[in-house]
Order: sequence, then structure tokens, then C-alpha cells
Amino acid sequence: MSATAKPGMNYNRGLHLRRKIYNYIFLALTGIATAIALIALFLIMETLVVKGIAGMDLHVFTMSQPAPDMQGGLLNAIVGSLVMCAIGMVIALFVGILAGTWLAEYGDGTVLATVVRFLNDILISAPSILIGLFVYELLVRPFHGFSAAAGAVALALLAMPVATRATEDIMRLQPYALREAGMALGANRGLVIRSIIWRASTSGLMTGALLSFARISGETAPLLFTALGNPFLSFKLTQPMSALPTTIFQFAMSAYDDWQRLAWAGALLIAATVLTTNILGRALTRGSTQK
Amino acid sequence: MSVAASSTQMAAPDGTKTLRVTDAQGLPRQPGSDRLFRLVCLTAVLAMMATLIGLVGSLVSGGWLALSHFGFSFFTTSTWDPVADQYGAAGPIVGTLATAFLALVLSLPVAVGVAVFLVEICPQAIGRWLAIAVELLAGIPSIVYGMWGLFVLAPWFAANVQLPLMMAATPGSWLETLFSGVPNGANIFTASLILAVMILPYMAAILRELLMSVPSHMREAAYGLGCTQREVVLRIMLPYVRKSAIGAVMLGLGRALGETMAVTFIIGNSHNFPHSLFDSGSTISSTIANEFTEATGDMHLSALIALGLVLFMITFVTIAAARLLLGRGGTK
Amino acid sequence: MSFVEPTTDTPTVMIPPPQGDRVIDVHNLDFFYGKNQALWGVDLPVARNKVTALIGPSGCGKSTLLRTLNRIYDLYAGQTAKGEIMFDGENILDQAKNSEQLRARIGMVFQRPTPFPMSIYDNIAFGVRLHRSVAKAEMDEIVERSLVRAALWDEVKDKLNTSGLGLSGGQQQRLCVARGIAINPDVLLLDEPASALDPLSTAKLESTLMELKDSLTIVIVTHNLQQAARISDYTGFMLLGRMIEFRPSSDAFVSPETKAMQDYITGRFG
Repeated sequence: MSATAKPGMNYNRGLHLRRKIYNYIFLALTGIATAIALIALFLIMETLVVKGIAGMDLHVFTMSQPAPDMQGGLLNAIVGSLVMCAIGMVIALFVGILAGTWLAEYGDGTVLATVVRFLNDILISAPSILIGLFVYELLVRPFHGFSAAAGAVALALLAMPVATRATEDIMRLQPYALREAGMALGANRGLVIRSIIWRASTSGLMTGALLSFARISGETAPLLFTALGNPFLSFKLTQPMSALPTTIFQFAMSAYDDWQRLAWAGALLIAATVLTTNILGRALTRGSTQK
Repeated sequence: MSVAASSTQMAAPDGTKTLRVTDAQGLPRQPGSDRLFRLVCLTAVLAMMATLIGLVGSLVSGGWLALSHFGFSFFTTSTWDPVADQYGAAGPIVGTLATAFLALVLSLPVAVGVAVFLVEICPQAIGRWLAIAVELLAGIPSIVYGMWGLFVLAPWFAANVQLPLMMAATPGSWLETLFSGVPNGANIFTASLILAVMILPYMAAILRELLMSVPSHMREAAYGLGCTQREVVLRIMLPYVRKSAIGAVMLGLGRALGETMAVTFIIGNSHNFPHSLFDSGSTISSTIANEFTEATGDMHLSALIALGLVLFMITFVTIAAARLLLGRGGTK
Repeated sequence: MSFVEPTTDTPTVMIPPPQGDRVIDVHNLDFFYGKNQALWGVDLPVARNKVTALIGPSGCGKSTLLRTLNRIYDLYAGQTAKGEIMFDGENILDQAKNSEQLRARIGMVFQRPTPFPMSIYDNIAFGVRLHRSVAKAEMDEIVERSLVRAALWDEVKDKLNTSGLGLSGGQQQRLCVARGIAINPDVLLLDEPASALDPLSTAKLESTLMELKDSLTIVIVTHNLQQAARISDYTGFMLLGRMIEFRPSSDAFVSPETKAMQDYITGRFG
């Protein structure tokens, strides 16, 4: 074999040209795919923003659900969403953080941890409407009535697996040396976790909380037959309560222009809330990982 | 619940300045024992488990009436008649499977294209921002997609696609069968289209993460041999993440199967067994969402919950397979 | 590190191979990671059918220099090279479009073994098929010949259809060498190929390289001075992005001229 290889000896020109053409076609196809995706998503966002802003006015925030052709707003729905999300988040974070802590700190090597992790992953992706059915059987049927409490529990059950997973992931990021340092001082495991690991994970846990909030604030299906909806402003947990997503659903499916206008305004509100929460959550993690 | 705040150190009762950090047995004096904390955490874990078990249990017990009454015919017949109290779920079940698979077929090639473009082709500075945008879009509530489908896509589709196709199809041909339906844009196909758009950013985001996980030395080695981008992506990177990529696709499928709001707006909500692409239909979740609060008879309610059980079983298999393929730490 | 940053005034020594023997000739090469300059006016003459070793402390730019020779840095936005890298009568820095052809002629083996997720046979056939259409019988022959030359044939001949990922680290690295030489390149670049290997695998890899030298030009980056002394014909010593001393290896480790290289090979820094 001659060492002084000449160009063309190692490859075949025709083959090379063909590969090049295939590559350009491939590049073009991925570009087209991206363009299609961006255009579709842009169209949706554009409609949402244009119609949402058109439907937005001060009454949206100050008045409750109108009768058809009357002036009104989404106050009852906004308040209902806030109340139920807040209660749901408190329950979900309480259980989720503790469960995530167990998985990260105590569960290693046990069969229970493997099983729970798997079930948790199933719950994260399970259809949300099924959670609604479950809470209906659990809290609505036995107490003979739809209630805000049932809605809050449904939202809690949706946020719980997200919070559990986030907690476990975040706590596992903490270096083992940190735990050893705490134990070396003579602190017991539980104390090390509560006073060192949790504190070191604060921003991560906040992110987890924000992401689970983003997950539940737009949920409609599980509220349809738990909290049901309520055309009036209500704070009673034992009574049906309205939520933004269910109200949007009801208004959008209706035949009244005013209601449809309000539905768009509400959809924009929800989308903006979810986007802001997600961006905040991301910003928090970025801040904590770029040390 | 932080009991850690109380002091770990206590002055000895006899007034000397010595700090006591151990109790009478010589064990470290600390607020809250490890065992108690562990127990509290374990309780939370068991509560999580109880949720899933309760979920399955309630679906079984709630749906039992309908399942035991109709037996196997619940799955094979498509008469859904609350007035006569006759329930057969074949329509919604087929609707669920058909829309989800159609959505996947429509969305997968685009999602792969987007992920490849973001990771391997467009300049990294732009790719990073596009990737964030894609991930944020994946979090938009599905009701927004549903509304867009109802108010924008359906009317446009009926006027510009469905009617022309129906006109063009030769009467009596298989094409006519395929395209038949009420030309209002609310049908199996548009529902699938909306689902496809909805799961697109979700799948693209996961696939992008997977492609990013291919070690850079692997890419470099392939380019070092003289590979083009197409060869690096198709021959090295995608095979490298093959297993997880299938998992990601299953996850997308799971999402499409269980989605309620994006579909309910636009599928047309008829319980008939869908006979064509443009036939109106229903899915399990849209049926439950539409009828649950209005269901009066026990049998009707039970039939709806039994539908939920079917949906759970379908999604459970899908998601479980996805999780096994993705392994731990795959994606949220 | 306690040495004076080299400037244009720092004494440098170049004892290059004769002009006619050079297969690659680098002149006055500057390299930038975004705005940070990593190479400053580097010269590197690479002699045909010889082993050229690049040594120097971590971060001196030896890997960077190697990565310009087949333009693999192209993969990363913001990395730019200026200057001249003459190969086959052309400056390869001017030919952005032809990197695939270039890389067929200048192969590369990386620090960590990079078997592709396919069988041992396909790992080698894959690269060959990129550049030539080859019949099955000829491909079998190429695969066998490459594996024999990479001193791996005896160990894998019975399991050619099993995954390349199942081999040991040393075997994987020799598989990568086999894959690199299968496409019959003029030059093979090796970026610390033995750094992830145990001593025995390293010895096997080195003897492989010595045999390849008959038909191939080799440029190797290494932090192992003994290795450089054992296998190389020319040695380039780099420091903070500059080529400080370049000379035949026969005297490079015995009588280096510059203070910096003396310090380095006697272990005073680095």
C-alpha cells in the first residue's frame, strides 16, 4: 500500500455526492418539521393572545359570572381557582416532600422504594380525569354533594406525585459529604435531613412546588365532577365552587358571544399564569445550579 | 413541622457552665428522634401508595355494576343509550385508540425533526432559546388547545379541507367512505390533529433531552470518520438512545390516550362506532367529561366509571412500558 | 504553576523535518474559543510515516492543536482557527465544505473509547461504507485486515457480530484504531488514546501504533513522557498555547534547549 495516497483513492466521488445530497434533504426535512411546529404553535398563541386581550377588561377581575347577555366577569372562578389550588398545594407539598424525602434518604435498596417510585411515575402520567372519578367516589358520593374540598383534594392528588418526584431528585443532588459532615457532628439522620439537606435544597424545592402548581392550575377534567362549578362567588369548602378552567369549558361550549369572549380572557389568564410559574421555576433552578 | 429549631444544647440543671449535649443514657440530645421522622416520611409514602390503590379500587367498585351486568358485551357493542339503560363501550374505546394513534403518527416525525434540528443543526445560541420555548409550550394547559381547535381549526378545516375532499372523492369509492361525515370540522381527524399539536412540544422536549444525552465523544468519533450530519443522527445518535426514545414515544401516546379537554371540544361527541376519518366520535375521557354530571341512573354512572377503568388499564400498560424503557431519571 | 507566561520573546527552538517529508504543515495558527485565544502562532511540521508526539502541561493547547488538524472543532459554534494548515497542497482551513472528505483522509482516535452502538464488524464496516461502496467479500477482508493491524483480530474473530460495547476498555480503543485505519487515511490523530487504559492495554496499543507507522503518519497527544519517548520520532513541547520546542525525539528528552522544556521533562512543573 502506497503511503502517498492521492485524493480520490479513499473514497468514491459518486457515493460522496449522493451522501451529500441525502444530507441536504435530511437537513431540509428537519428544518421543515421545525417550521411546521413553530407555525402551528404560533397560530395557537396568536389566537389566544388576540382574543384573550380583546376579552379582557376590568370587569373580568371585579365581577362574577354574568347571566347570558349581561355584564360580568370571572371573579368567582379566579377566586375559586386560587382557593382550591392553595389548599391542594398545601396538602400535596406536605405529603410530597415527606414522601420524596423517604425515597431519597431512607428508601435505597428496599423493594418498597422501587414499587413506590414506579407507582409515582404512573400517577404523574395517569389521565387526570381518572383522579376526578376517584375523588368523586371518595368524597362526593359518600357526602352526597359536590364540594370545593373535593376539588382541592383532586388537585392535591395531581400535584402530589410531581412534588414527590421533584423532592427526591433535588435531595439526591446534595453531595453525600454534606450528610456525612452532619452525622460526623453527632446529629441523627433525621436532624441532618431537616436542618441541613432541606435547607440546602430550598431553591430546588421551590422549583418543584412551582412546577406542581403549574401542573394543576390549568387542570379542568378532575374538577368537572368534584368542585362542579358555581355561578356565585363562594368561599365555602363544603359547597360547589367554580374554577377558572371549568368556567372556561362551560363558557366556550356555550352559544353566547359574551361567554365565549370571557372564555378567551380566562384562557389567556391561565396560560399566562402557567407560563410565568414555569419560567420562575426555571429561573430558580438556574440560579441555584450556577454556583 | 420543623422541630429542628429548638436548641440542641442545654445548660446543666445544677447551674454550672458545662453544656450538656447528651442525655442520661449518653445518647446525643436532639430534638425529634430519627425513628420518628422516618416513620412520618414512611406514612407519606404509604399515603402515596394508597392513592393509586384507592384509585384502582374505586374504579373497580364503581364500575362493577355495569361490568357484571353487561359482561364482555360492554367492550364489543357500541349502543350507548342512557334512555334504554343500554351501554356498550366499543365506540369510545375505539375512538380513544384511533385518535391517540393517529395523533402519534402525525406528531412523531415532526417531533423527531424538531429535536434533531434543535440539537444538531441550528446554531446553538438559537437552539437553546427555541428549546426553552418548546418546553414552555409543553406546559400550556390542554384546554387552550381545545378552544383553538373548536373556534379556529374546526371551521377552517370544514371549509378548506373536508368539503373539497368530500366533493372530490368519487361516489362509491373507498375514498368516499374514508371522507364521509358531517362537514362541521368536529371529527376524529381534527381531534387527532389537535392532540398531535398538543403532544408535539412534549415529545420534542423529551427527544431533545435524549439526543443531548449522547456523549459528545460519540458524536465527535462519528464526525471524525467523515460522517455527514444525517449519518451521525440516524446511524449513531438515534440508535444510541433507541430504548429511551421508544419510552418517550410511549409517554406521548399515554398523554394522548388520557387527554380530556383538547378532545372533548372537537371530536363531535357521538357514541356511534366511527366509520370514517371524518366521522364524529367520542373518546373515553370525552364521554366521561360530557355525561358524568348529568348521569342520573346508577347504571349510567357505573358504565361511565367502568369506562374510566378501561382507560386506566390502557394508559397503565402504556405508561408502565414507557417508564421501564426510559429507566429512572429519564424525564419528568 | 510557577513559570513565566511565554510571549513572542520567549526563546523557541524548531528543528523540523525536511520540507519534502512533511505531510501536514501548520503555520502561524491562532485558535479561539469564542473570544479566548488558545493557540498563538503555532507551527507544526508533521513528517510522513513518522510518529509526532505533542506534549506539555494540561491546558497548553496540545489537544486543541490536534483538533484543528481534521477540523473537528467545526462542530462547536464560536470555535475558530486562523492561519495555515497545509495538507496535500491546500490550506484545510479554507475548505469548510469538504470536512467529510478531509476526515476520511485524516482519521482520529479519542481519549475515551467510542465504539458505536453496533456490532464489532459493523463498527468497522460503517466507516468504510461512508466513503466507498464495497462488496461483502471485500468488506470481510477489510474488516479482518484492519483488526489484524490493530492487533485485535485474535481476540474478537469469533464474536464479530456481538456488540462493540461488550469489549474491555483496551479492546474498545483498539477497535477504534481499527475503525480509523479501515478507511485507509493518510494521517491518524490520537488524543491521549491511552489515558483511560491500564498498563497492559497501553503496551498493546503502543506496539500497534509502532507497526502502523510503516503505512501511516501518526500525531499523538500524550501527557505520558515515557510514552512519547518510546514511540515518537518527533516531539513538540507546548506551553500556554505556544509551540516552545520542536525537535527529533532522539535528543528531545536528553538535551532540550529551552528552559521551559527542561523544567517540564524533569518534572519541575506540569
